[in-house]
This record gives sequence, structure tokens and C-alpha cells, in this order.
Amino acid sequence: MHLRRNRTRALGLAIPLVLALSMSACGSDSDGASTKKSALPAANSSLKGEIKIGAVLPLTGTNATIGKDQQRGIELAVAKINEGDGVLGKKLVVDIEDSQGTADAAIQAAKKLVSVGKVSAVIGEYSSGNSIPMQQYLQGQGVVGVNPGSSSIDLRSTGELQFSTIGLDDVAGKFTADALTEKGYKSIAILAPNNSYGTGIVDSVSAAFEANGGKVTTSGLYTEGQSDYRQELNRLKDSEPDAYVVTTYGKDGTVINKEIFELGLTDKPVFDIYMSQDVPDADPKSVEGRIGMDVNSTSADGQAYADLYEQTYGENFISSFNGYAYDAVTLLAEGIESAGSADSAAIAAALPEVSKTYAGVTGPVVLDADGQRSEQPYVIAEVKNGEIVPQ
Amino acid sequence: MVDYLLGVGILAAVYAINALSLNLQVGVTGLLNFGQVAFVGIGAYSVAILDSHGVHWAVGFAVGGIIAGVAGALVGRLGRTLSSDYWAIATLALAELVRLVALNQDGFTGGAQGLSAVAGLWTNLSGTARDTATFATIAALLVVTYVVARRVRNGQYGRVLVLIRENPDLAASLRHDVVSAKARVMALSAVMASVCGGFYAMYISFIGPSQLLPFATFLVFTMVVVGGLGNTTGAVVGALLITVLYDGTRFVRDWIDISADQAAGIRILVIGVVLLGFLLVRTQGLVPEKVRTAHARR
Repeated sequence: MHLRRNRTRALGLAIPLVLALSMSACGSDSDGASTKKSALPAANSSLKGEIKIGAVLPLTGTNATIGKDQQRGIELAVAKINEGDGVLGKKLVVDIEDSQGTADAAIQAAKKLVSVGKVSAVIGEYSSGNSIPMQQYLQGQGVVGVNPGSSSIDLRSTGELQFSTIGLDDVAGKFTADALTEKGYKSIAILAPNNSYGTGIVDSVSAAFEANGGKVTTSGLYTEGQSDYRQELNRLKDSEPDAYVVTTYGKDGTVINKEIFELGLTDKPVFDIYMSQDVPDADPKSVEGRIGMDVNSTSADGQAYADLYEQTYGENFISSFNGYAYDAVTLLAEGIESAGSADSAAIAAALPEVSKTYAGVTGPVVLDADGQRSEQPYVIAEVKNGEIVPQ
Repeated sequence: MVDYLLGVGILAAVYAINALSLNLQVGVTGLLNFGQVAFVGIGAYSVAILDSHGVHWAVGFAVGGIIAGVAGALVGRLGRTLSSDYWAIATLALAELVRLVALNQDGFTGGAQGLSAVAGLWTNLSGTARDTATFATIAALLVVTYVVARRVRNGQYGRVLVLIRENPDLAASLRHDVVSAKARVMALSAVMASVCGGFYAMYISFIGPSQLLPFATFLVFTMVVVGGLGNTTGAVVGALLITVLYDGTRFVRDWIDISADQAAGIRILVIGVVLLGFLLVRTQGLVPEKVRTAHARR
């Protein structure tokens, strides 16, 4: 009797659990990064041997779309390098492992690349919570790490072999604060999601804006996934700032933008950080006239790259993260070329020097003393007739 | 390769301790704890917070163990007023509570950024030697946890717990203090889970609120169910199997030439299918629970 009950109990528990586990893979849709509209150029046949580096990307889990976009950036960079002279006369290979969007799987993935694949450099990840422990692990193993997607300032202190091709929060925060000061705003109220991305933005913008002599009347951190944000928005409104500063994305962004309009917050200027994350999904009339900042993908090299991306995958950028991954691969390749070997310490020594003259698809990537990107071109834009128009 | 295998071993052992703890609650006593990750989080944060203030990890383990043990006993006592299904929902709420406190107490827990650079074990060693030493430590701890869990399960107290699972009214009528028994098993399991959390934080060298989502609990539930609900050895087997399954399938891509993102999707799908297969073929788990029948026949 109890045996049968146990059996049903076990099954009743187990089937939903297994389903829940497999669901985590659903973020990666069937239309893979490899589904190309036109094939990438073939590798130069005169290249002999291989130089292998690794990458750890969130190919499954909640950030699977970003991971897929990062993979596309890597594919394009590898194809471009191998179509030409390769690296040290050899073919460049990037071995990509899945981080499942979790810290322990990211560490295991990096372990496999380092311990089994014997790579001398690893690119990754996207979430700061995964990139930081992964870079700490890589540093301990004496392997170069390049972060193409996380922006936490804690990445500054992961070690001398660790680098970033994306500007960290302090770079984006300084740019935003300067733009707000230049527009003549004396006080701002900030709204951001309560996660590592949002808190990083709030801290860095507040610090830089206050250093400019401005005042932050209130900073609201919203819990993601709610159906209503009026409470948070009213708090912003009640603090009576000169301008509202918001950063949001996804489904939350659609709701927040609708409610910003309904509550009349649009009577004052609304400044949007990374506006391409939420403006395209918003009701056009709710975001008309909004100003904001975003990464610049319109440099000369950037445009050719954007065309190549569109031509290869048959659609425009699905996020702004493919470019940083592209720059991570290309910068590493130039570092290896300049070092004359794929030795980790030699690459790390060469990277800052190479970065001074490197023209990336996301703009110049000059690495500072901590190995972090010191400048990144952003643009100030405005929404006109539902389109984001750079000013 | 050795380092990678040691990594798999360390993770498997960490998960096995977690599974042993959950098995005592769900498998043996029938307490559906959906908030297991709360106890893991308490242990992980205790070690990480104290470490960031320069306190030795052993103190972190002790503090985490005490807090988790008290929390476990209190949650166990909740069972006095809540029947099992409602109790299960309450545990889920408790886990979310712990996560939200971790998310919002910035000064204390590092908020959404989490706490990084938690010092690991054996910092005086490096490379393979360090991994080996870490693995040996966690394996020893797993053995201790296993022995404790087994003794509890097979002793008089364990039989009372099984009776509470099968028929709480009968247990009460035999003058067993059901609430106290539940509170004690919860306290013990919570201490085990917090030790597992402390090791997790030290091994990954990072803990953040995103690691305390309910998914982390469900993963351990799967290990316990696949291994065999109620069987102490089963919990370890389940944890080992699922860790090996997750990490072993990474090598599949080395044999077939497909794009990385497709390989990643297929890998998760394969894991799901294999687990379902195990459950359909062996509904009671790989190592089914043995309830002593000899005693009854005699």
C-alpha cells in the first residue's frame, strides 16, 4: 500500500520537476545563431595549424538571446580573421561552452576549457554575477579573461590577466551624468530594476551627477515582473526633480513606459539610459520626444560590421552585445599576434599596448591600468516620430 | 582534465550534501520543503559576509549553522498550525523572504551585486594540489553527513519520522511528539544545508541573490527523486548522476560538429529526456527506499 503511494508521490513530484528543468532551455529558440542567410567566408587555405581560445556564453537559460548574439559576434570575428592571415599564420578557433546563465555552470565551463581544452584565454560571460567568479577562477589559473558583456565595477579588481571590452558602469554613468548636467538639469530622480545591472547604473550615475554639483532627489529600484509600477513612479514624481532618469527593458519596460505617460511624468524631460532596450517595444505616443543615451554603433567600422551582420543573419542586431564579443575576439587575436605566442602572460602584457591603436566595431577600446575599457562612444538621441534619432 | 574532474567531484559532493539534507525532510519525514535554498543561502551568506570582514571561515560555518538550525526548528514548528500543503507554500515564501532580504540589505549582503572574492579553502596551495585538497575536504564532509543521515534514518528516531510521514495521527496516538520530531529533523537538515551553502560560496567564491531562486531548490528535488525518495544512498546517487549528466554532456559537442548554441539546447534537452527516462523506468528512483518488513513479519 505505502509502496504504491510512494510511487505516485515520486512521479507526481518528478514529472513537473523535470519539465521545469527542461524549460530552462526554452530560451534558446530553434532559430540558432548558425541559421545563416548567407554563408560566412571560408578560411584561408594557406593557414597551418590552430590557435584555440575559449568562450563561456549564456546559450541556455534566461539570457539565451544575449548569448546567441554574443556567439554571432564571435563567429563573424573568427570568419574575418581566418579569411585573412589568421593568427601567427594559424587558424583561429574559438571553443564556445554554455554557462546556462548560472555561476556554477560558468565555472565548470571555464574549467573544462582551461583544464581539458588548454586554452590560454577565455571570453565571457554576460551577467556580472557569473563573470566575476569566472575571472577570479581564470586569474587563479593564470589564464587571460576578457569580459564582453558585464558592467559591474567589481570587475576592476579581478586581476592583472583580466580585461573588459565593454565600458563598465562608471564609464556609462559618467557619460550620462555629464549629459544631464550639460542639459542644465539641477536635480534628477532615477528608476532602475533591482538587479546587479540596475543598482550599478544607479550608483554610478548618482555618484557622477553629485560630483557635478547636481542633486538626486530619489532613486527607485523596481522589482522585475510586476504588473504595475505606479507606486514607484509616483514616488519619483513626488520628489519633484528637473528630469526623470529611467533605465528598463523587456516586458517591464513596456508597462513602465505606458504608466510614465499615463501619470503625466512626460510633462518633464525623461532621460532614458540605453534607450534601444525599451523604446522600440513601447507605445510610440508614450515615448515621443524622449531623450536618452545608447552605445554608438554608427562609427565607420561599425557600419560595415552592421551591414555584414545583417547580410549574414538576415536581421538587424538583436542586442548591442554582439559587437563587444566581436571586439573581444579581434583584440585577443591582435594581442596574440603582437605577443608572438599564445602564452597567457605574454598576451596580457601585449593587450593594453595593442588596444591603443585598435579600431573596434564598437569604437576605440583603450584599456586602462586595470585592463578595463576606458572610453566608449555613446550617443545622445531623441525619439522623433517613433524613431530613435541621434542628436 | 584532472582539474575538471575534480571540479565535477567537488560540485557533486556539494550537491550530495544538499540532497541528503532534503531527503531527510522530503523523503524520510514527508515534509515538502520548497524553500531548501533558504538554508543554503543562510550558510553561504554567513560565510561570505564574515569573510568580507576578515573573519575565518570556520566561524562563518558555525554562525551559519546556528542561524539555519534555529530557522529550521522554527519552520518545523510551523507545521503545528499548518497542514502539509500549506506548510509547503510557507517554506516557498520563506525562501523568497531570505532572497529579498539578501537583495535589499545592500550594506550587509552587497545587494543585487552579491558578495564576490570569497576566500576559498586551502589558499596556501595552488592548481591541482588545491583542487585535490578541496575535494578531499568536501568528500570527508560528505561522508560525515552521510553517516549522520543514515544513523538518523535507521535509528528509532528515523522510524518515528517515517511513521509521521505515513500516518501522523497514528504517530501522535502512540504518544510521539510530532511537532518536536519535525522541528528537530528540520533543524538538523537546515544545518546540513547551511554547511553545503558555505562550501558552495567558498568554491564558487561568489554568492548573490540570483543564486537563491526557487530553481535551485527544484534541482535538488530532482536529485532526491531520481536517486530514490527516502533512501539515504539514493540521495547521493541522484546528486552524483545529475552533476555528471550536466557536465558529461558538455563533451557531446566534441564528437558532433554543430553550432555551439544548438549543441547547448540539445544538451539540456538530452538531460531532460534522460531524467524522464530514469523516472519512467524506475519510478521509485535508482535506489528505492527499503522499509523494514522483516520486523512486521516476525
